[in-house]
Amino acid sequence: MKDVMVVIKLMMAEKRDILYSILFGVLAGLTSVGLFAMSGYMISKSALAPPLYIITIMTATLKMFGVAKSISRYAERYFSHRATFTILSNLRVSFYEKLVPLAPGIFQKYRSGDLLARIVGDVESLQNFFLRVFYPPIVLVIVFLSTIFFTTYYSIYVALTLFAGLILTGFIVPALFALRQGKIDSQVREERGALSTDVTELLYGFRDLKIYQKLDGKEKQLGKSADLYVDGQEREGIHAVFNQSVNALVALMISWFVLALGAYLVTEGELAGLFLAMLVMISLTVFENATPMALFPAHLEESRHAAARLFSIVEGKSEEEGSSDQLSKEKAYSMEMDGVSYTFLGEKRLTLENIQLNIVAGSKTAIVGPSGSGKSTVLQLLLNMYLADQGDIRLDGSPIDSLAQESIWERTNVVLQENHFFFGTIRENLMIAKDGLTDQEMETALLNVRLDSFSLEDPVFEKGENLSGGEKQRMAIARAMLKGAHVWLLDEPTSSIDAVTEKQIYDQLFEAAKDDTLILVSHRLTGLETMDQIIVMEKGSVIESGTFDELMNKKGYFYEMKQIEKSVLL
Amino acid sequence: MDMLRKWAFEQRAMTAFLFVSSVLTGAMMIGQAYFFVTIVDGVFLKEQSFEDIKPLLWGLLAVMLLRAVLSYLNGRTGVKMASNVKRKVRRMLLEKMTRNPIQSALAGQSGGKVSVMMDAVDEIDSYYSKYIPQVIQTSIVPLMILAVVLYEHVYSGLIMIITAPFIPLFFIIVGMKTKAKSEEQLDKLAAFSGRFLDTLQGLTTLKLFGRAAKQRDLIEQSSLDFRDATMTILKIAFVSTLMLEFISTLSIGLIALEVGLRLVVFESIAFSTAFFVLVLAPEFYLSLKELGSAFHTGRGSMGAAKKVMDELEETEQPVKWGTAEVSIPSIELRNASFQYRDGFSLKNIKATIPPNAQMAIVGQTGSGKTTLLHLIAGLFDPSEGDVLVNGRPRSDYSETAWFDQLSYISQHPYLFSGTIADNIAIGGAKGASRADIEMAAKKAGISDLIKSLENGYDTPIGEAGRGLSGGEKQRIALARAFLKQPSIILFDEPTTGLDLKTERILQQSMAELAKHSTVITVAHRLHTIKNADQILFLKKGEIVASGPHTELMKTSMEYREMVLQQGGTVI
Repeated sequence: MKDVMVVIKLMMAEKRDILYSILFGVLAGLTSVGLFAMSGYMISKSALAPPLYIITIMTATLKMFGVAKSISRYAERYFSHRATFTILSNLRVSFYEKLVPLAPGIFQKYRSGDLLARIVGDVESLQNFFLRVFYPPIVLVIVFLSTIFFTTYYSIYVALTLFAGLILTGFIVPALFALRQGKIDSQVREERGALSTDVTELLYGFRDLKIYQKLDGKEKQLGKSADLYVDGQEREGIHAVFNQSVNALVALMISWFVLALGAYLVTEGELAGLFLAMLVMISLTVFENATPMALFPAHLEESRHAAARLFSIVEGKSEEEGSSDQLSKEKAYSMEMDGVSYTFLGEKRLTLENIQLNIVAGSKTAIVGPSGSGKSTVLQLLLNMYLADQGDIRLDGSPIDSLAQESIWERTNVVLQENHFFFGTIRENLMIAKDGLTDQEMETALLNVRLDSFSLEDPVFEKGENLSGGEKQRMAIARAMLKGAHVWLLDEPTSSIDAVTEKQIYDQLFEAAKDDTLILVSHRLTGLETMDQIIVMEKGSVIESGTFDELMNKKGYFYEMKQIEKSVLL
Repeated sequence: MDMLRKWAFEQRAMTAFLFVSSVLTGAMMIGQAYFFVTIVDGVFLKEQSFEDIKPLLWGLLAVMLLRAVLSYLNGRTGVKMASNVKRKVRRMLLEKMTRNPIQSALAGQSGGKVSVMMDAVDEIDSYYSKYIPQVIQTSIVPLMILAVVLYEHVYSGLIMIITAPFIPLFFIIVGMKTKAKSEEQLDKLAAFSGRFLDTLQGLTTLKLFGRAAKQRDLIEQSSLDFRDATMTILKIAFVSTLMLEFISTLSIGLIALEVGLRLVVFESIAFSTAFFVLVLAPEFYLSLKELGSAFHTGRGSMGAAKKVMDELEETEQPVKWGTAEVSIPSIELRNASFQYRDGFSLKNIKATIPPNAQMAIVGQTGSGKTTLLHLIAGLFDPSEGDVLVNGRPRSDYSETAWFDQLSYISQHPYLFSGTIADNIAIGGAKGASRADIEMAAKKAGISDLIKSLENGYDTPIGEAGRGLSGGEKQRIALARAFLKQPSIILFDEPTTGLDLKTERILQQSMAELAKHSTVITVAHRLHTIKNADQILFLKKGEIVASGPHTELMKTSMEYREMVLQQGGTVI
């Protein structure tokens, strides 16, 4: 519930639209009640053979009610939807603001790739919160209370009946169903998870299942979990239908009771027969406003769940600790690691174990090793993306935790394994490198990475989907070159680029980085002859280091890797 | 769309029930109006006593109860119908996926299929749970009301007949006018809706370039643009509802005026008739309007249905099997060809693989090496030519017998959720003992690692075997093969990224396994290639040369070039 309060607080920024939604919602409800009350009254009055002008006036009033009802319904919809989307926008922004200080550490905590999609989905599903959970009950109560107030003028008993009806259909019945709703929902979610796992295993493991003849068993299991899931959904659906029907029935019963009570009062002479039809019409109409309340529990549950999930993600404390020391802007800095260990959250194995590293300012270092040996993690620690569990990291002689994260990033040109490209144009994607870049500078950068076939206006789709892996890598290198910092941290920047182009790009890169500190994580062992230092890693430890010649002469791990690479075709 | 409807009407009992309950619901609506009007008429004009109207009140109560029960049953039937279709569709999809090995075996499409199986199937729900019941109800109830009104008071009925067509007509006009506009807006929407996700995904990049703060304003701006675009579409929808309400209010007003005049001025009808007609008129227009919203709901399911259909319409090419047992096999590919629709193909493959042969398949990326391995494995049949096993077509042999002889070690072995022991045991025939499993793990060089884990062989390895490195997965796959001791091993050699230990274990283990089996390797390592009895050199799906390494070096220029060029000397 506390998370829902956060959402409500964010919502309140849109007071004006909320007020309009409620205002027009109430108007629509009241005019609709008025419309039917009027028609009930009119027909009864007609029976008493009044003068024609009375009928004419009443018909005109009726029309007015009708038009007013339609227009206020329109206005209500308009304002409530506009409010909803503005609230969504506020939610996105506020969530983004909370997420920014946590990145990129948060992505490591939740390694599963669908986290972000889930965030987006949860924010979207909160749109039902205002639209279906928050303001309809307010409108409902106001419309009901006004109507009840109106009916007291005719019969206090009818008014009391309506009030009882409001309590029943608006609150008691939905509350009763809310209890079960939560249970059913969580069951269905579990069943869905089980099915999703089975489907994934069947499809991704198809070949192994087939060859090991486990396909039939898996198929049966999947069939079973699919049926379980559908059963769950069926229960959920029937529960909702039951819920709605019960609520509608209660509403009908109340109207029936109003009719019976009214009829009794008329026969007893305590109520003019003229008003009977009107009162029943009022009752039938006013409860139309209450029927949607049947779905209230489902929407509330959904919103609560979405809000809880969203805010559980950003709940952790921020990793920025207000360190404020800055790195010098104009020169390359040195980097050291002393006894650094690091373990990914939720894993038992050490990702890095007791790493010693000394990278002199202006030197060129390569880190090589098999996949999973911890090469990238070293880079990420040097970027202060994560905090080491043990040991010291010093940049330019200062402990890394005394430095502002931003200051480190500002002074480095980084190419990661996964580089993000935004929906937009090539220009927009390059512009984020530095303020005040000219077109000419960007075009030169493209030329440097052999992407001069692209123009700056060319579109980039989401996640750079219209670029090949090699093109994305080259674009990332261009972006890093444009930034013009004096420390380079490159994580397998050319793994999807062919050898000839790779060589050309490296020539440009090393020319640009002539006086800079450069660390290159590399999957290939070629072209490392000119490096000042090669660091060989395996299973989270540095097992060898030295220049290319030293390592080759030593005939150790690097030498053997080199032999294997030589013998690998294609 | 046609298929969706067909599935609905296949469930005869259910649709019949929906029809019957719609007729009953219509009757209850009319009954409710009748009782209501008669009661009011009774106490108001006829000055009956409360006792006189009591039976009518009970009647009204019964009608209301029934109406609620019917609405529950109707909704429930819709939900059940949806469940039946979802069950059926999932079963059909499942069958399609398991029977259609080619598409499943070819990598890269699994993600989309998961979403078809999960989301697309769920999305067709509302077609059955909401659309179909609503359509049936709307096609019956207004007609019943109309009939009753015509019977009671023909002029009001005529007004209904004249005004009713304006509602669908208006739908059509609005639809035509707004279609182009809303489609244009929809494009915008699609672009916007991805923006937030795009920004979140790029957050690391943004922070590295110090742009995170600026992006906040962009999110806000694009969200607000998104809102405005959505509102444009919604406004159209709201305006059209508004117009529809006007039409129905106007029509009801006409009826009221007509009835009122007759009642007051001409005194040609009774109060009860007039009231009755006036109570029914709104119900009439309401059900017509509901059809509109039902269409909207139904349309949402169409896109999903199309995805499901596309999947179901994939041509099936099941592998044929017979009943014969397999002894230690020799394999012959006789002019075998294979074509997959996106141009993936093998042409005219000729090769003979005697028992215990060491065969290497080499060639550029995309030359069809893995496809050839799949063909040999029996994951699909050749589209032309034959695969012969011991001189008989492979389709003569029983599937179980064949796969009992076979192990396949791919570059990315799939680990299932279960313990390490389970994952190794999947290789063995039936009920391998723990000792066998441990022995196999030892031979595959992974027993030390397993023992170092807290729960040893009982360590769960999660979905898709998360938590193990590439090299460790390879070794689990090797352990499976050691447990199985097959007579044919198919092996897709990893290119790079393995640690030296795994490299050595792979080589040793493969040598060990090769002692008693035929080994067919998609080979990248010179070592493997040089040791092979025979090499198949593939290019664009065809064998351009075959023979042992030394021979190929002499006879095939292309092969020689490839070996020399790729031999680690580039750059």
